[in-house]
Formats: sequence, C-alpha cells, structure tokens
Amino acid sequence: MNDWIVGALVLAPFVGGIAAWFLRGRAVEVVSIASMYVTCSAGLGLGVAVLQAGRLTAFGGVVSVDALGAYLLILTVLVGAMALAASPHYISHEFAAGKLRPRDEGHYYALFLWFVATLVVVPLVDNLGLLWVAIEATTVVSALLVGINRSPDAIEAAWKYLILGTIGVGFALLATLLAYASSVRVLGDTSDALNWTTLITIAPQLNPNLLRLSFVFALAGYGTKMGLAPFHTWLPDAHSQAPSPISALLSGVSLISAFYALVRFHLVTAAGLGTAFSSNLLIFFGLLSIAVALPFLIRQEDVKRLLAYSSVEHMGVLALGLGFGGPIALLGVIAHVGLHALTKATLFISAGELVHQYGSRRLSAIRGTLTASPVAGGALGSGIVLLGGLPPSGIFVTEFAIIVGGVARGYVLAAALAALLLALCFVALAVHGSRIVWGHSGPVDAAREIDWSMVLRLSLPLVAVAILGLWTPGPLTSALESVRAVMAVIGA
Amino acid sequence: MNFAVTFTPADAARLLDACAAGVVLFGVLIAGTRSMGRAIWLVAAQAVLLSAAVVGVGVATGSVHLVLGGLLTLASRGIAVPLILGRILRASPVRVERNPYLGPRTSLVVAIAIVFAATLAVDSAALGGSPGGSINAARALPASVAEVLTGLLIAMTRRKGLSIVVGLLIFENGLALTAFSLTYGMPFVVELGATFDLLLVLVAVGVYARRMLTVFGSLSTDQLRNLRG
Repeated sequence: MNDWIVGALVLAPFVGGIAAWFLRGRAVEVVSIASMYVTCSAGLGLGVAVLQAGRLTAFGGVVSVDALGAYLLILTVLVGAMALAASPHYISHEFAAGKLRPRDEGHYYALFLWFVATLVVVPLVDNLGLLWVAIEATTVVSALLVGINRSPDAIEAAWKYLILGTIGVGFALLATLLAYASSVRVLGDTSDALNWTTLITIAPQLNPNLLRLSFVFALAGYGTKMGLAPFHTWLPDAHSQAPSPISALLSGVSLISAFYALVRFHLVTAAGLGTAFSSNLLIFFGLLSIAVALPFLIRQEDVKRLLAYSSVEHMGVLALGLGFGGPIALLGVIAHVGLHALTKATLFISAGELVHQYGSRRLSAIRGTLTASPVAGGALGSGIVLLGGLPPSGIFVTEFAIIVGGVARGYVLAAALAALLLALCFVALAVHGSRIVWGHSGPVDAAREIDWSMVLRLSLPLVAVAILGLWTPGPLTSALESVRAVMAVIGA
Repeated sequence: MNFAVTFTPADAARLLDACAAGVVLFGVLIAGTRSMGRAIWLVAAQAVLLSAAVVGVGVATGSVHLVLGGLLTLASRGIAVPLILGRILRASPVRVERNPYLGPRTSLVVAIAIVFAATLAVDSAALGGSPGGSINAARALPASVAEVLTGLLIAMTRRKGLSIVVGLLIFENGLALTAFSLTYGMPFVVELGATFDLLLVLVAVGVYARRMLTVFGSLSTDQLRNLRG
C-alpha cells in the first residue's frame, strides 16, 4: 500500500512532465493540474498519516519518512499547488509581452512538474547519498526554469545559479562521503551505512575527525543551497529573475529542503560529538546571514530582490534557532519553516502580478496599490509587513521564541544581537510595505474586475499566518511537537 | 575471479597510486593551458585514468560493483562529457582563454603549490587510515584533495564559461577520486544517481551556452555582470 502511494507521489509529476513537454494550451494545463492533484493528495495523505502514527517505510526501507520529513513533504506539495495555480497567469502575461515562444509553455510546465518531482523525493529518502542526488537534481531542473525567458539578466542569473549551485552542492557530496567513510569503518560495507536512521544510532562510535569535517562541508554545501551568507550571492539573482511561480517554489520549498538536509547532518554530528561544535557554527553563520541581508533590505530598489534578501534573513534565523537548540527555539524553528514557506510563496506570486501591472520591478514605481491594484498590492504590502514580523504575524511569535530559547540556553549575547538585527530588518520591511500600499501611484495597467480566485489564493495563506500568531489549533500543536521529537538530540 | 591470480591487490594499489598521480599531472597541465580544446581532452583523460584505477581495484578484489562503477565513469565522464563540451566548443567563435584573471603561467605555479601543500597537509591516518581491505594506496587521498582545489582554482580564475565548466569537472573528478580513496566509492545506487546528475548539469550547461552564444555572441562571463545589490 505504502509503495503505491509513494510511487504515485513521485511518478505523477515525473510522467506528467514528460507528457507536458509535448503539449500546449488547455491540454498542458489539464495534465499539470491532474499530476499535481495526485501528488498533493498522496503527499498530504502520507504526511498527515506520519504525523499522527509515526514513521512510515516503503520500498524495503529505501523510503523512510519521519515527522520531520512529513512536515517538509506537506509544505512542498502545498507550495507546489500554490505555484501551479499562479502559473497560467504568468504564462499569459509573458506571451502578451512576447517574452516566451509558443513551445516554451509545454517546456515550462514539464520542468515545473519535474522540479516538484525532485523536491518531493528529498523528504522521502533515508539514505544521505540519495538525499544529495535529489537536491542536486532540484538545482539543475530549477536552473533551467530560471532562464526560461532568455533575457540577458535571466541567463546571467541562471548561469551563476547553475555553476555556484553545483560547486556548493559538490561540497555537500564531500560531506556525504566523509559521513560514509566514518560509518563504513564501524559497520563495514553494508547498504545501510549511509542511512540517516542508522547513522544517528551509531553516531557516538563514528570517528570524530571525519564527523567534524563532514559537518563543515555540509554547512558550506547545503548552506550554499539554502542561501546562508557568505554563500548566498547567487540567491538574489536567481530568485528575482526566475518566473514568479518558480521564485515561490525556490524560496518557499527549495531553500527549506536544503535546510532539512543540514538539520539531518547537524543531528548526527550533535549525537556523535555533543552539540557545541556544530551549534556554534550554525549560530555564527545564522547571525552573519541576518546581518548581511539587512543593508540590502534597507537600500533595495527591486521588489523581487527585496523578497530574496528577506529569504537570506529568514534562513539566517533558521540556522540561528537550530544552533540554539532546546525545546523553545526548536519549536520556533519548526513553525518558522512553515510560515516562511507560506508567506514567501504568496509574496512572490503577488509581486509577479504587480510587476506585470506596473510594467516595472522598481520599488519606487510600485506604489499606491491600495487604489491601483488592491488585491495583489494589498497582499504584497500587508504580506511584507507580516514577513518582517509585526504582531500578530506568526513570524513574530516564531522569531520571539527563537530569541527567548537562545537566552534560555545561555546564548545571551547572540540572542540580543539577533533581536536587534531582526528589529532593524522589520523597520526596513515595514517602510517598504507601507510605501507599496499608500505611496503615490503612477499609471497602472490593472484589471478593473476583481479576480476572486486570486483574492482567495493570496489572502488565505496570509490570513493563516496572521491567525497562527494568535492561536494554534490542537492538532497542529501536536504535529509540531512530533517534528520536534525527531530532533530530541538537540532538544533537551 | 581468474584475474585475481595474476593481478594482485598490491598491483592494484600501485595502479591506483599511478592513476592518482596522472590525474594530478593532468590537472596541473590544464591550469597551464589557454586552449580550451586541450583542456577538454585533458579532463577526459583524467576520467579515463580514474576509471582504469576503479576497474583495476575491482578486478583485484573481485568486486563486480567496482568494475561496473568504473565502466560507468568511463562512459559518462570519459566519453559523454567531452563529446558534449566539444559540441559547445565548436559552436563558439573563440576557443582560447584570452585574458583569465590569473594567467596560465601563474595558474601553473599555483596548481603545483596546491599539490605540494595537499601532500604535506593531508594525513590519511588522521582520518582513520585508508579503507578496510587489503589495498593500501597512501597517495590517492592527498591527490584527490589537490584535484578538488585545482578545480576550484580554475573555476574561479577563468573568464570563459567553458573553462569554468572544465574547472567544475576537475572538481568533480577530484570528488570521485576522494570517494574512491576514502571508501572505494559510494553505494552503487548513489553513484548511479550522482552520474545521472552530472550529465544533467552538462545538459543544462549546453542549453545555457547556446543561449549565451545567441544573446551575447560569446561564452565570455564578462557580459554576466548586470545583476547587483
């Protein structure tokens, strides 16, 4: 039974992508929606089942999903569905502007579905080597999407992403090799020597030198993929040049998939060496990422780059919270992952709409949306403020939890510094957000009729983020608790 | 296996050391050349040596998995990759690296320095000794570290897109040699996936190289400096 569900989850977008490559128009949309529907149902069903009943395995143990994986899987299919729903708009805008060729439509949906297919593999596999294979595959497929419209800027962004991403993830392969070398010496040459579930149980017996080196390379490698400073330079280019639905997937899912891989390495390292070594590195690079993002948030001129640098900030927050450890900060990190995914995906989609309506990506042009484009503009303006962490935004609560958790674990200085930097980031984002909503608007090419499906798609996630700041439903609380239980090594 | 009688583990260890030395030598030669065509052939030659070492050790230890892995390396890195790169090169109007950030002579010296530094610094004993089994090839691990660094050097100091990809491939060859000298490679399914990914990367490189040629008229990364801030 499980084999069938997992098979459908991965194969539906893969096979759908092959069909989509050769189709166009209505047919390609139908194929894409059908594949996404299968993946979404399978992913949500599987994810909820794991969160309620615990670990689930399939294909003789190759697939093994715990609560942490289930959580990532649910977020992946949700953001995937959001991005797919926004795609027809993007395609028709690009056709109208003459930026895409007729055949690009099929290629776009095919690559989109393959991107989703590679992303859903990440939380499923137990083997760290296969995890690496899946993440490297996401890089290549998404790099092909970043430059799909052939503009010089998009080609530049895609090329940098492809080269830096491949080198970065190459370091993650080195990390995987070192982990394998350390475990082969304990277990001998068995097929499960790279399985995370095995590694975490034998971690205390692993060679500490190999483990330490392995974590350093994992941090550099997966840190590049998740946009931690100073390895983040490709991120603002790729996320701002990609088609907006793809930016939503890159920011909402791809970054947290890399974070997920880093969490796995951190847990093994902490189980083997104690928490100090890897935690201190995570705290340092987390703080650095927030600090590096801040000036670019303040002086930003391009709306999509603003969102991209906010992702660098948020990835810094995640690394910081993971480094702090302890029950409070970890709960904050887990919730932050989900809130980041929902908010950022929504914002990239609404920013994409506005860029088309205003014919510009400049923040000095996109102003006064309250009257000019209330739906997308309202979502972008209010979303950016929620993103910065204005109460009652759930992001305020998670960032607060991470800082309090840091103080509780004795990292007072780092927590204080983080609080200051996050407050400054909030001010920068709030200023941009209020200008977008209330500033003086120029001429706009916005539809007069209100698109109710877009209202629903953009407002639901943002309302959820605001409500979650005030109240968390019981089942969600227990789900987050079960995700935290996977991180027990650093949660005590 | 019959071969094991004539081809002993000690022979295999010598073969591995010799191949690792050859890989390093070719890496240094690539650092010292301006011709992108020569660089592509040298990188392919590295892959051929790599696969020879893997197949040799596989035969000596009677491991089918290693022999298959070696043949996979030969087919992908030794044959498919240079064919793809050669196609891109033929489409490109400029086939030499005219003004890299670091000239070929300086690169050559730096590459040699990297090899010496890696030999001195990497002590395989500190990482728990060489892998279990009867083969002891002490020189392969430092060589692999030198290759990873040489690849990074070339990827960072060249201007032409194709030269950067050659640097990336040296880096990847270094990773493959590291994998082999640490643990005799990864589990076969992971190796299969990694090879598939490498070919995907090359396909994406081919796609963007063609777009760069159409849009900019060359593969020089000098045109790629519009995005800032």
